[in-house]
Formats: sequence, structure tokens, C-alpha cells
Amino acid sequence: MSSPLYSIRNLTVEYKTRTGPARAVDDISLDIMRGEILGLVGESGCGKSTLGKALMRLHTGPARITAGELWFNDENLMELSSRRMRQLRGSKLGMVFQDPMTSLNPVQRVVDHLTETMLTHEPEWTKKAARERAEELVERLGILPERIDDYPHQMSGGMRQRVMISLAIALNCDLVIADEPTTSLDVIVEAKFLDLLKELQRDFNLTILLITHNIGVVAEVADRVAVMYAGKLAEVGDTFEVFAAPQHPYTQGLLRSVPNIKLDGAELYKMEGTPPNLLHPPSGCRFHPRCPNVMDICSVQEPGFDPLHPGDPHRVACWLYEEQPVKVVGDV
Amino acid sequence: MSAQEPEVEEKQQWEEELARVGLVRRLLRARRWYGADWWFVAISGVMVLGFLIVAFLPGLFARYAPDQQVGPRFLAPGAHPAVPILVAASGSGLVNLEDLAVGPDAEVSRPKVAVVRGLPTAGALRERAQVIDDQLQVTGDLRLRPSIERYDTLDEALQAVADGDVVAAVVGSDLFDADAAKFPTLAAGNDITGEQAAAGGFLLGTNQIGQDLFSRLVWGTRVALLIGFASAGVALVAGVPLGLIAGYAGGKLDRLLTLLMDSLYAFPGLILAIAITAVLGPSILNVIVAIAVLYVPTYYRIVRGQTLSVKEDVYVEAAQSIGATSGSILRRYIYPNVIPSISIIFSVNIADAILTGAGLSFLGLGLPPNTADWGIDVARGQEFIQSAWWLVTFPGLAIMMVVLAFTMMGEGLTEILNPKLRDR
Amino acid sequence: MSDAMIEATGVTGGPAPDGDALVQVRGLVKHFPLQSGFLASLLNRGEVPAVQAVDGIDFDIRRGEVFGLAGESGSGKSTVGRLILNLLEPTAGRVSFDGVDLSTLSAGDMRRLRSRMQVIFQDPLASLNPRMTIGETIAHPSEIHQPELSAAERRRVVFEMLDAVGMSPPDNFADKYPHQISGGQRQRVVIARALVTRPDLIVADEPIAMADVSVRALLLDLMMRLKDEFDLTYLFITHDLATAKYVCDRIAVMYLGKIVEVGPLTSVYRGPLHPYTEALLDAVPVPDPLHRRTEPLPRGEIPNPINPPPGCRFHPRCPIAVAGVCDAEEPYLAGPNSDEGHLAACHLRTGAHQDLDSARFRPA
Repeated sequence: MSSPLYSIRNLTVEYKTRTGPARAVDDISLDIMRGEILGLVGESGCGKSTLGKALMRLHTGPARITAGELWFNDENLMELSSRRMRQLRGSKLGMVFQDPMTSLNPVQRVVDHLTETMLTHEPEWTKKAARERAEELVERLGILPERIDDYPHQMSGGMRQRVMISLAIALNCDLVIADEPTTSLDVIVEAKFLDLLKELQRDFNLTILLITHNIGVVAEVADRVAVMYAGKLAEVGDTFEVFAAPQHPYTQGLLRSVPNIKLDGAELYKMEGTPPNLLHPPSGCRFHPRCPNVMDICSVQEPGFDPLHPGDPHRVACWLYEEQPVKVVGDV
Repeated sequence: MSAQEPEVEEKQQWEEELARVGLVRRLLRARRWYGADWWFVAISGVMVLGFLIVAFLPGLFARYAPDQQVGPRFLAPGAHPAVPILVAASGSGLVNLEDLAVGPDAEVSRPKVAVVRGLPTAGALRERAQVIDDQLQVTGDLRLRPSIERYDTLDEALQAVADGDVVAAVVGSDLFDADAAKFPTLAAGNDITGEQAAAGGFLLGTNQIGQDLFSRLVWGTRVALLIGFASAGVALVAGVPLGLIAGYAGGKLDRLLTLLMDSLYAFPGLILAIAITAVLGPSILNVIVAIAVLYVPTYYRIVRGQTLSVKEDVYVEAAQSIGATSGSILRRYIYPNVIPSISIIFSVNIADAILTGAGLSFLGLGLPPNTADWGIDVARGQEFIQSAWWLVTFPGLAIMMVVLAFTMMGEGLTEILNPKLRDR
Repeated sequence: MSDAMIEATGVTGGPAPDGDALVQVRGLVKHFPLQSGFLASLLNRGEVPAVQAVDGIDFDIRRGEVFGLAGESGSGKSTVGRLILNLLEPTAGRVSFDGVDLSTLSAGDMRRLRSRMQVIFQDPLASLNPRMTIGETIAHPSEIHQPELSAAERRRVVFEMLDAVGMSPPDNFADKYPHQISGGQRQRVVIARALVTRPDLIVADEPIAMADVSVRALLLDLMMRLKDEFDLTYLFITHDLATAKYVCDRIAVMYLGKIVEVGPLTSVYRGPLHPYTEALLDAVPVPDPLHRRTEPLPRGEIPNPINPPPGCRFHPRCPIAVAGVCDAEEPYLAGPNSDEGHLAACHLRTGAHQDLDSARFRPA
């Protein structure tokens, strides 16, 4: 088994609020393997976007990484200087955001945006060379080369997202973190974009962390899927395995409540309750108030995030699959 | 719903708590959440309250009528006014001027009283003696007809008393205090005018007419706040509905009104106010009108802009879809969502109106000349800025404090009353 | 209530018989003229360029059905919703509600008619007046259309509505403000407000798009229950064909201001006639890795609605387009005789040039 490209170990990201800290990401450990598309899926507020940004050590507002290690290319990113981090961002680590309109500078032509980024990281290139490379890139991504002189508002949403991706591959990024890249796109454009991601994975050996709340998107392109709930990982495993036999009750509920256009006469499952308040998360397993299989231990202690069988890459955080700790007389 | 980060949820939680309490408790509890802002509002609130109390109950604070000459001119703050006092040998029992009155069969029918040549005490003595004499003539047979002996210097006058050449001397209390050590046998009596209260009564001094500056400031508060509130209020009442209607209706009405308001807005404020008051004539009502006209475009623009944006909000469309009339939509959907932006405008407006009012009266426009007003005081005091600095400084400080108080309060209140804005 | 299920409303459930159309749309056109200066209008010789949002559509909404209107951005579906509610005035064409042409109504009559047609918008937070309590919001339609009620009676109506949408105890919610409740609850309030006047028609414009995945099923379930309870007819506007499958009886697919296909839901989904419908159905992400998409997608992107392509608007992207035919004339809705009410606007599939079609009636 090859070593992971990016190894997240015990990452915790906290928001400071007036009434105390809220852990958007709570002690998460996850490996991203080279050349894979890893789908990180969860509902709003589960912390997936925060996690994505944390991987580049980008802060959203009052969020701060308070614990953990981020191992990338044999370096712990937490120990790097901000200068070194800046070098990495854009050149080795790329990011694609949800709303391409606001992530591209509206008063800068697309070509300038691209060449500027390239020249920042490769100062010895000439402007001409950078421009040529930019034209190559966008053509590769399905945009007519003459369109790169446009401003962002002159392009459609789908094209803007392709521009964002081209920024990522312009400098041969190893890892692209895509945070809800298709949420604002129409269905057909979204499908094309997902095709593009698969192409890039194939042709450039690009590794992609795809963050989304759309289960269908994950099923279409991801090799592995990680399910997040309330700041913690519920389940991680091969896409086919997880979809065929989801282990965590949350995953099960999630998959059943998503409409499937290919199924006839199916029923939509309604999950009880609402996502929890990260300031005062439920005790023990965070999903226990909504879980149809809840047991006594679930409200008392958090389950570990462990493989289903020894050596199995498919991991679940659920007492259904773990040996419960033996109770000592006198303990509550 | 989507992309709700924990901070948004947390905000909702304390908003929930806040919403559960009434306004008063909210303001008190708000300290826990708003921290520094709360102090802002608290301090400025106290100041504004103070000014309001002074404006409503000037009699409680002002000792004197503001337009009357009640003391010597150019008295420095805190200084005791020099009053003419009777100085006599200690033990003589002569304390008041009345004590010099004698009966018809006294040896000396006309007691000699010393004064210093060239000072106005002689005149004061003569006046006062005349008054007392007239009174005495009515009540009995005592008469007071002092004979005034003039000496060149204070020392000579006092020496004369000490030597017994004269019965008593009438000198300024400040002068006697300075020299008293030299004449241990002499004692100071009372103010010959009989007024006791004058000693130490002029907190901030007097102006060139002899009016008590502090009383003028107190009464001036009333004028200033009246102008401030009234003109801001009139501007609000005029500008807000116009802005709402123009923003909502659009079309020709909007264009016409905006043209009008923009022209008004383009005028430099003070000049416009000057023009209006010059045309309308001096009166406090005209000042209010002039300043109000100045501010109507501000309210109009802000309200119109907000209306234009709120008009496009979905809940307005929803209101249309349930069949609400335009009036109802304006009243219940647009107006309440536009108003918060006005609260800070209003209180800064008050501050600015007071400033403009002071400016107008400084220039001699607007208010009738004997009104007690800070601007007028500043105007009158400016030529004496080097000799009697207090004439300009205290009215100026008063203007500054009021403006500061209202501005602070406006900013602070907006933050507290509209939590959604503060997160931007 | 744990584990409740939604049953897909199949076509067999069936809408009311023909002739009982609650809403009739004929030749509906809506153009939004672009702001043009003097110079621009000179250059265009007086013709103002306009966004052709809706460009001539006809359909009926039958009483008691859930009629789906699907399309991507720029299709004009949201505009159609607003035209039906008369929140926008049509540039041409006619909308009739229960036999009454909306353009013939006076302002007062239109306002009164609104009590019978209500709307649910996409963003519940934006649809609620932040300065009105939930109780006031729900009471407002009643104030307008049922002014004879006393305050106490109205409060009872409000509570009834809150109960009906599952917000109990109602007095807990009536005095809250929109920002104090969750997103799913807000959408329920919007639904409650829409139901107060017991309307006949509800136009739901992407009603669950902004809800969390786990909440969507609950909201859909609620809407369907209320449909039965209150005898409602829905116009369900959405871009999400997967969701539409669960609730719609009939569905119309729009592209660039035109209806390209319409018919009973299973008929359309199982046997799409129009190439665009096919593409749309293929493109929907399926939450099952065993059914990943293999079909090709139409080339290009949705063109600018200001200058739509001539002839069939889909022809530049269409895999089966035939030059000379598809770029010359606009197709109109027609259907093979066997299908009841399943129509598509395609020269090659249902029009006069079916002989040119290379692959007929490709099954889904």
C-alpha cells in the first residue's frame, strides 16, 4: 500500500464564540491517498468546509487549528512558516471554491489571473511563456483559448469553475481541495465538471478532495468516501463498499433520504432530529439523539473510529461494531 | 440553512436569550454581550440624559436669569466678585451701611466715609445710602447721609479709618482682602448693597455685560436642544415618507423628487441655512425650519436607497403575493426594515443641527439677539478671547459635549438595537 | 412518528379528468428589456434588446395535481411561476385562473383573487419579514382576506396553521422572529402562511433547495400531506429532477424560455422524447456508484437568453440535430398518438421529420 499523499492526524479546529469554543473539527484523522478522488460528505454545519480550509491552513474568521498534525510530502504543515505555506498554496496545494464569481477577481482578466499566479510561483518564467501555458491549459479544460481575455463576469458559472481548476493544475498541484465546486452549477454543467475531474485524475494523476453535501456527486466520481457528522468522522471507506453496505446509522439514513432517479416506487426516508449545536454537542456519540439503533453506551462514551475488521481500510465510529468497554462495578 | 457555521448558530442562541427579555433588561443584560459598546451607550446616555434634564428644568440649575446683569463684568470663573464692603474699626459694631444711620440729635449728623478716588465705589455708596435714607425716612427718624471723603490710595483711606478721621470706609472686598494684614485693627463688614448671596455665585464667571455665564449656558441648553430635536424631527417627518414613496413607486415621481432633493443636497449646508434665515427673519422657529430643510435630503436619500433595496427582497414579493396593498406593504414590510438605518442618522443629525444652529447664531442670524444661546455667546466672546478666555471656552465646550454625547449615543444604540448589522 | 415513508405518487394516482384545468396558460411571453441608452437604441433602430425569459408557452394545470416545471438556469421556470401569480405582467399571452383571465382583473379583484393562489419561495429566511413575528406573518393574509375575524379568532387560525405544519406547541413559536428558528422550521412557517387563506393553488419555487438533505424529505412529506388535507394543487418548480420524481404527477421541461417536453411523470422519465430531457435525466447524479453515468452529454452550454439560437433553441447542442431543419424552424409540441398527453417539441422525434431520426424513442 502506497503512503498517503496527505495525512491528517488528530486535527481539531475551534471557533471562539462568546459563549465558549465550538469544535468544528474534532480530533479527525484521515489519509488522502495519491491519485484518488476522496469525497468528503456531510450536511451543512458538520465542519467539512472548515476541514478543507484547514488543510491549507486557511482560517475562516475566528476559526483556529488548536491541535493535530498535517503531514504532506513528509512535512508537518503545522510547523511551517507562513512564507513556506504561501509557497505551497497554489503550487502544491490548490483550492476550488463554491462560488466562482466571488473567488475570481472581478476586475482582473482571467489570463492575468492565471499568469500572475504562475509567475508568483515560478518567477523565472517570462510573461509570454506564462501566457502560452495559460492558453494551453484552458484549452485542455474545454474553454476556447481566446476567451481567456474575458473578465469573470463575462463567463458562465461552469467556465469559471474550469478556470479555477486550471489555476490548480497550472503549477502541477499535487492535491486539489474542491469545496462544493458544483453546488452553484446547473445539472448538465455539473456533470461535465465531474467528468473533467475524472479526466484530470487520470491524465495528471491529480489527487482531489471533493467536499460536498451532495451524495450523488460523491457516488459519481469518488473512489473513497468519508462521511462527517458534527465535526467528527462517522465512516470512511471505498465508495462501492460504503454505498452497498453502509455501516454507520447516519450513513444509512443519509443514503436512504436522498432521492434516486433510477429507482422506481422507492420511498424517501426521513431522518429524525436536526444537526446538533457544535457549542453543546450531545454527550458520547454525537449522533445518538437521532439514531434508530441507539444503545445505553452511546450517550455515555464516544466510540472510536476503527476498522470493521483488522486491516480493513473501511472504518466506522459506532458502538454497533466495537466491543463495549467492560463495566466495573461502581462505575456509572 | 446551508453553510451555517457554528458562529451563526451561537449568535442565534444569545439572540434568543436576548429576545426573551424586555427592552430594559435587554439593555442591562446587553453588557454581557456587547462589552465595550455598552459602555459607549451608557456614558453617552448619561450625558444626554443630563443635558435633557438641564434643558427641561433650567431653573434648578441656573442661579440667575440669563439676560440680566447680575454681577460685575468680566469676572473670571470662580473668582469672588469684588463687592463694596464697609470697613470699620473692629469692635465698633459697624458692619452694615445701615449702622451708620444716626438720629436727629446725634453729634455727627453726617458721618464721614472714606473711599478711594477714581473707583466706582463712591457711586455705589451714594446710591445705596440714598436708598437706605429714603427707607429710613419713612419708618422713623433715623437718617443716613454720609459725607464722602476721597483719598488717593487705599492705604490712605484705610489709615484714615484706623486713625479715626473717618467713621468707616467703603472699599472693594478684593482690595481690602489684599491689604487687611496691614491694618489689624480694622474689620470687614458686609456688602453695602445688602446682598449676601453674590459671594462665590458666578461659577463660570460673567461676560462683558455682567451676565452669569453659567446661567446662560444652562438656559442655552434649552435653546440648543430645542433646535436640535425640532429640526431633526421635522427633517425626519418630512424626509422619511418622501423617501419611502419615491423608492417604492419609482418612475416620474421618484425622478422629480430625487432631482429636487439632490439640488438641495448639493448646497453647502451653512450657506443654505444662512440664506433661509436671512429671508425668513430672526426667530427660533425659522432657525428650526432652515436647519430642517438642510437635512431632509439626507433622510430622503438614505430611506430611498434602503427602500429600493428592501423592495427587491423576497419577503416584499411574498407580501405582494398574499394580496397586501401598497400602503400596507410600505407600512409593515418596508418601513420597519428601513428604520434601523435611520436611528443613527437621527442622533448624529441632532448633533449636527445643534452645531449648525450655533453657527447661525454665531453669525448673528436666526435667533433674536438677546436669546441666551451658546453660539451667540461664542460670537460675543471671541474678541475677548485673550483677556477673558472663559467667555468663548465654556460655550464652545458645551457645544462640543452635546454633539459628542449624541453622536456616541447614536452609534452605540444602533449596534445594540440591531444585532444583525453589527456582524458585518 | 419515527421512520415515516413517502410513497411516490405514481401516474396511476391520476389527476382530474380533462377540462378541469385550474390554471390555463396560452401563448405566454415575458421579455425583460435591457436598459439601453439613447445611443444603443439608435444603433438597434429602436429595437431594445431583451432577455427573452419566457417565449411562448402553453400548458394547463389540472385541479388536484402536482405539476412539475423543471429546467436549468435561464429556462424561465421561475418567471413562469411569477407570471401565473401575476406578480409579473406578461409581455404577451394569457394566464387564466379558474376560467378568469388575470389581465382582465382590476387591482382590487386581483388582490382578492390572491387568497386562492399562494407561493412558497426558495429561501425561507428571505421570504419572511425579519421584523414581524411568526404569528404576525401567518396572520397577515388572514387580516387581508378575512377581516371579519376577531383578534382571538385570528389567533386561533394562526395556531391551527402552526399545528398543521407540525410546529407544536404553537404558542411557543407564534411570538418568535424568523432568525430565532431553524431553516426547516422557517420553511414550515412559509407553508403555513401560504395555507391560511385556504388557497386552491400553491406555486412552490424550489421549496426544498435550501434545506439540509435530512430535512428535505420531511418537508416534502409535509407538503404532500397538506395537499390531501387541504385539497391543494401544486405547481412545483425545480431544477432537481430526482426530487421531482417523488412528488410530481405531470412534468414539463423547459429550455431557454420554451417548453420542450410535457407529460405524465413516469412516461417522461421512462421514455423521454426530447434530446434535452434525455440529457437532463442522464446528468442527474445518482447516489449509487453502480449506476455511474456513461452517456455522453450535450456539447456547449446554455446560450444567452438575449439572443437565443434560431429555429429549435437546443439545436447547437443537440446530438441528433439536422442542419436545414432544426436551425430553420421552431418545433412545436406534439406527441405520438399512443401516449396520453406526453408531448415533445422536436422535429425529429415528434414533428414532421421523424424519418430523419437516427435513434427513435430511446428508453431510459
